[in-house]
Amino acid sequence: MIRKLWQRVRGRKPHDDSEELELHLAQLTETYLDQGLSEEEAKAAARRRFGNVTLVQERSHEMFSFPLAHSFLRDVSYALRTLRRDWGFTLGAGAVLAMVIGANTAIFSVVNTVLLQPLPYPGAERIVSIETFFTNTGQSSPMVSRPDFLDWRDQQDVFEAMAIFSSVGDTGTTLRGRAVFSNTWSVSAGFFEAFGQTPLAGRLLAGPDFQAGGVAVVAHPWAVTHFGSAGAAIGETFLLYGSRVEIVGVTAPQFRFPGDPDLWLPWNIEIPRGVPAAVIQAQRGDYAWQAVGKLARGVSFTRGEAAMRTIGDRLARQYPENRLKTVMLVPLQERLTGSVRMTLWILLSAVVVLWLIACANIANLLLARAAGRTREIALRAALGAGRGRVVRQLLTESCVLAGTAGLGGLLLAFLLVQGIVAVSPADLPRIGDVRVDTTVLLFALGLSLLSTALFGVVPALHASRLDLSDALKQGSKATVARPGTRLRCGLVVAEVALSVMLLAAAGLLARSFQALQTVDLGFSRDRVLAAYTEYPIQGNVEIPKRIAFFGGVLDRLRAVPGVEAAAGAAYLGMGWEPRELRDVFVNGRQEGQAGERPQAEIYDVTEDYFRTLQIPLLAGRDFSRSDTPEGSRVAIINESLARIAFPGESPLGKRVRETPNSQVAWMEIVGVVGDTRWQDPSRPAPPAMFRSARQGTGNSPSILVRTSARNSFDEASLIFTLRGILNGADRAVPVEFKTMEAMFDSTLRYPRFRTEVIGLFSVVAAILAAVGIFSVLAYLVGQRSRELAVRRALGAQAGDVVRLIVGQGLRLVAIGLALGLAGAFAVARLLTGFLFQISIWDAGAYFGAIAVLGGAALLATLLPAIRAVRIAPLVVLRHE
Amino acid sequence: MGTQSSGELLQGTLPLIVLRILSAGPSHGFAIARRIELISQDVIRAEEGSLYPALHRMEFEGWLVAEWGTTEKGRKAKYYKLTPSGRNQLKHETARWNAIAGAMATILREA
Repeated sequence: MIRKLWQRVRGRKPHDDSEELELHLAQLTETYLDQGLSEEEAKAAARRRFGNVTLVQERSHEMFSFPLAHSFLRDVSYALRTLRRDWGFTLGAGAVLAMVIGANTAIFSVVNTVLLQPLPYPGAERIVSIETFFTNTGQSSPMVSRPDFLDWRDQQDVFEAMAIFSSVGDTGTTLRGRAVFSNTWSVSAGFFEAFGQTPLAGRLLAGPDFQAGGVAVVAHPWAVTHFGSAGAAIGETFLLYGSRVEIVGVTAPQFRFPGDPDLWLPWNIEIPRGVPAAVIQAQRGDYAWQAVGKLARGVSFTRGEAAMRTIGDRLARQYPENRLKTVMLVPLQERLTGSVRMTLWILLSAVVVLWLIACANIANLLLARAAGRTREIALRAALGAGRGRVVRQLLTESCVLAGTAGLGGLLLAFLLVQGIVAVSPADLPRIGDVRVDTTVLLFALGLSLLSTALFGVVPALHASRLDLSDALKQGSKATVARPGTRLRCGLVVAEVALSVMLLAAAGLLARSFQALQTVDLGFSRDRVLAAYTEYPIQGNVEIPKRIAFFGGVLDRLRAVPGVEAAAGAAYLGMGWEPRELRDVFVNGRQEGQAGERPQAEIYDVTEDYFRTLQIPLLAGRDFSRSDTPEGSRVAIINESLARIAFPGESPLGKRVRETPNSQVAWMEIVGVVGDTRWQDPSRPAPPAMFRSARQGTGNSPSILVRTSARNSFDEASLIFTLRGILNGADRAVPVEFKTMEAMFDSTLRYPRFRTEVIGLFSVVAAILAAVGIFSVLAYLVGQRSRELAVRRALGAQAGDVVRLIVGQGLRLVAIGLALGLAGAFAVARLLTGFLFQISIWDAGAYFGAIAVLGGAALLATLLPAIRAVRIAPLVVLRHE
Repeated sequence: MGTQSSGELLQGTLPLIVLRILSAGPSHGFAIARRIELISQDVIRAEEGSLYPALHRMEFEGWLVAEWGTTEKGRKAKYYKLTPSGRNQLKHETARWNAIAGAMATILREA
């Protein structure tokens, strides 16, 4: 056995064998010579008697080798030679395939990292988001209330760690004399345990921290930016809201939850003794936090959720406040990436369609090439290669082409991935982690192999059906006729259909995006500047002084020429984080249960806020300076809230408040304003209630300024003045100015992303389809050249010929269009979630798709037609 | 009776024939082919297309060894010689052939 293997490895000396066979031939020839034949005849007879020398040699050779491997290597070298000879074809097809494989790989990288790879925490599959589920509406919300969470935590036995956390926002922190914004979160005990984190330097939050406070754990990038290294940050302190905070730990570089945090502050969530039960119950309606938990090892998701639901149902029976809600669990990965799942799969589908079109094109080109190689193939088969062998060799050729294109595509993918990350919305979950890893490499490899299968079998099958003798006799104008043509036309029709589908999808998305940009938001966003500030005067200064301070700033702003109106708002809207809905309590009504009360987003704004944004005042009055903290509390509600809470009556004079806590005074409704769409232009305006900032807690407002600036130069100088005022108030204050226009654009980042990417793919698809049409038509013209020449000779005009060819081409395109439109209707259903005000039957989109493809197709058919006209009939006929 | 080409015989017989011929002494491909025709009185003709692969295969199996030499006429030729394992193989194959032939004869006579 070993000896045999050794024989195989050693191989056979081909010289020996060929010499042996030649000698035999020589002896045979001698025999014939002895019999009286001439030298020529003897040689011929000997050869005929012997048979195919090469074949005999090969058969022996195969015994002593690894035949499959050797023949494959030979095929590969032959393929490389052939491809180099037809370098035009190789370059064209290879480049297209490389681009398409690259695009597919790049998009798959994103899909892989965002959707498929588990989160980068130990035991990530056991980490869940604990959420509130409202049984009367069937809606769930990731926001939970503190008393609910505490009850869940105390009664459960399925979690090994649980925590709640809440965003403090971009807070002003002063370190080493500089003031910067730092993204801050408050987290409860168990937070870092739930993610199985160990610190890179220092330690994570421990028990005593939650009692004492005054410490923080910071993120690695933040530590490096401000202190140079993780180790250097330990022990350093900074000011937050005027209080000193010490850094006790730095997290591992890849830990970034939730969002993109800089600081984590410890937060004691235990309810202190002595708090009245009524207050606790009231807080059950305050959904201001998010909760995560890590299921204990061995606890399945189903079991965990069932256990939590039992607890939730128990609480529902126990507390009237909880009657209509319970608990549900959502795997954390799904919570984080669920919203982009559909978008990414659609992008991947689109790029796969592009790949199919490219493969169809290459198959077409290969068929065209095969027509020219019929003679070569027939010759090889006749020389004893055997059909199977030839087919194998053709497949190897496709394999080599796809393989090199795949490698090129992989390299391209590295670049493309960076491009995609650059154009995608910055808050796409996990987008920062996207990279090319082994799964992606395997994908690229698989795609190359699949490409080979798709376009490689076509010429191989075609070769296997050749009639050898015919092919050898007639030379290049051989038997390729019918099967090849039908196949090529079929491929083109398929290409057209697929590109129409992509174009239609792009058209729908584009129309939807257009609608989004022109929707009435309820306020005017041009010439409005927004400044996000954070004055660190909170902690030590009394509320009335703080309010006076901000009032002074606003007055100074309003005095600047070029400022039409200025106001402050505690939350700008159009930010990144949606505002949660809070319950609204109406004086004179039963408190009701959670889920039954009207809900609204709550904003703290100053006077002139509505004037600055040009939100119409529909009834009553705006806030004014006379609404002081000493006076009675006032509120303004928007139309939606008025309709929901006070149907059929005037809300003016009614009393409301945002908490059932009877210590808090009721607010009198003094005005009603129009609805506004802050966050999502595609959703109807949420109900909203506005409190007067002058009666509030004096938190740093964001400043809104409506200017009369007519161009960017005016705007820039105005910003300079405004910043001066804001800085003058307190030099250590970070100030950032944005235009409302820019903020609005960012709310459209997802629709823009989808539209742009699919739009790009559809245009490339149309170009590829046009190229396919062109190549097939050129080929058909070649086929018909004789017929056309005869027609011309018989008197047909140039116009007639053009019409004939173009007609042939357009007939193909028409079939493709019809199929494509049918497919598009089917596929459009998938897009309904992304379409705003546009139905899936939107005519504009489909007409646009037809127009683009039709135009490209027309161009593609005209060129061969014009060439057909140029052929002089006599030349063609003589050539035949 | 026409000439049978070796390809039409049972697969296993060509090696047996070659082994038997070589048991009489080393020989080269051409000579083996002529000897088969001669002894069988042209009933069996060894086709070069099957002969050489068979020779090489038997060399691969270790029943023969090959060596370059010269013929009586002074030509260069590759001579094949039986190895001990080849002699063994000859014994086995002969026995098997006789068994089959005997059985065939019985069947044809009495079936």
